[in-house]
Amino acid sequence: MNPSFKLLLVLIIALEVSFTRHLTINLVLIAVTIIYLLTKRIRPRLFGWLFLMPLFPAIAVFITIAWFSPGHDYFYAWVLFSRIYVYVFTGAAITQTTSPLELTRSLEQNLHLPSKFAYGTLAAVNLIPRIKMTVKTIRAAGQMRGIYLSWWSPTLYFKAILHAITWSDQLAQAMESHGYVEDRARTSVHQIALTTRDWLILIVSIILIQIITFALP
Amino acid sequence: MAKKNNKFHLRDIILLALVGIIFGVIYWAAAFMYNALTIVFTPLKLPMMGNDLTMGLWCMAGPMAGFMLKKPGAPFLGEFLGAAGEALIGDQWGAANLISGAVQGIASELGFTLTGYKHYDWLGAVATTITTTIVTFAWDWFRNGYNKFGFKNVYYFSGRLLSMFFFCGVLVMLIERLLERSHVMKREEFND
Repeated sequence: MNPSFKLLLVLIIALEVSFTRHLTINLVLIAVTIIYLLTKRIRPRLFGWLFLMPLFPAIAVFITIAWFSPGHDYFYAWVLFSRIYVYVFTGAAITQTTSPLELTRSLEQNLHLPSKFAYGTLAAVNLIPRIKMTVKTIRAAGQMRGIYLSWWSPTLYFKAILHAITWSDQLAQAMESHGYVEDRARTSVHQIALTTRDWLILIVSIILIQIITFALP
Repeated sequence: MAKKNNKFHLRDIILLALVGIIFGVIYWAAAFMYNALTIVFTPLKLPMMGNDLTMGLWCMAGPMAGFMLKKPGAPFLGEFLGAAGEALIGDQWGAANLISGAVQGIASELGFTLTGYKHYDWLGAVATTITTTIVTFAWDWFRNGYNKFGFKNVYYFSGRLLSMFFFCGVLVMLIERLLERSHVMKREEFND
């Protein structure tokens, strides 16, 4: 499926699920995304991770509604519990099957997102491993001088922002020196197709979701 | 002073996305906080308190971006691009991250809008603290079932306001002061 349309569908699902309170649709969505991920041959370890990661916040919400709210509404507690898993699994359905580059290209070509936003964000995303390293380095450098930089320390953020300023200058210069001009029409070597099939999948899925949402509890 | 340029250029966009992601990376060091707070507050019958007390952390990139670039739209973009970056790398909340990012972005932006984009000082910080608290709370009202909590919402709301004030107000202002003193954000003259 077209990456932008996949994202669009997942956003519509997330919004709809946030504002309605039905259990069946949540369970159906979770089941469908799990099957989808299985057909894409996702590593079993990742499944374990996807189940465990949101467990704590999900339990916190469940306990709050089921035990400590005036209504003791168990049905609603399960709705909220499963809702968190809907977010996680539908999100994984995109991130585990689509690369950031594909998604960016598709957003630019199919949804006509201005290229500076598309590639600017992608440039920052590609720096993530370096960002992680730098945050570690800054803290280690502090410790060598006997200074502990905690996560609420303004100095830690300040030093990291200094790096961000340098990187953003360098990346922008690098892109411009490779011929990138913002707000100019671009041609693309890698075309991302947007077919009738994508439209069909999107529309049919949305209709099916409406039927299940409003017909079942 | 050079004339105010309210357009976003490539380097601004990269910078905002980077700042959002950097803040995201630093919060991860604090991810255990949410769980620890939940464990502490559950016996006190306030299990969601962890969510409210850490909320300020997630909303820091917006006001920070506003203070750094001092342009309309910067708080929204800072918050939203950070969330988009996290969604792209496959953060746990996935695409729902984009929606919360947009909500939080609009929330921080509102504070600067209400002060006419003129107050990049304490007034602006307090305004964005208040709008972010109200808007994100309204969002959780629907999304996380806060409409069911009854009277306890008073505690949750105050907890969130406190968290927003500390992270989005005090901490952001302290970072801003460091940036101001180092004169690193005076790049505006070089654009165009």
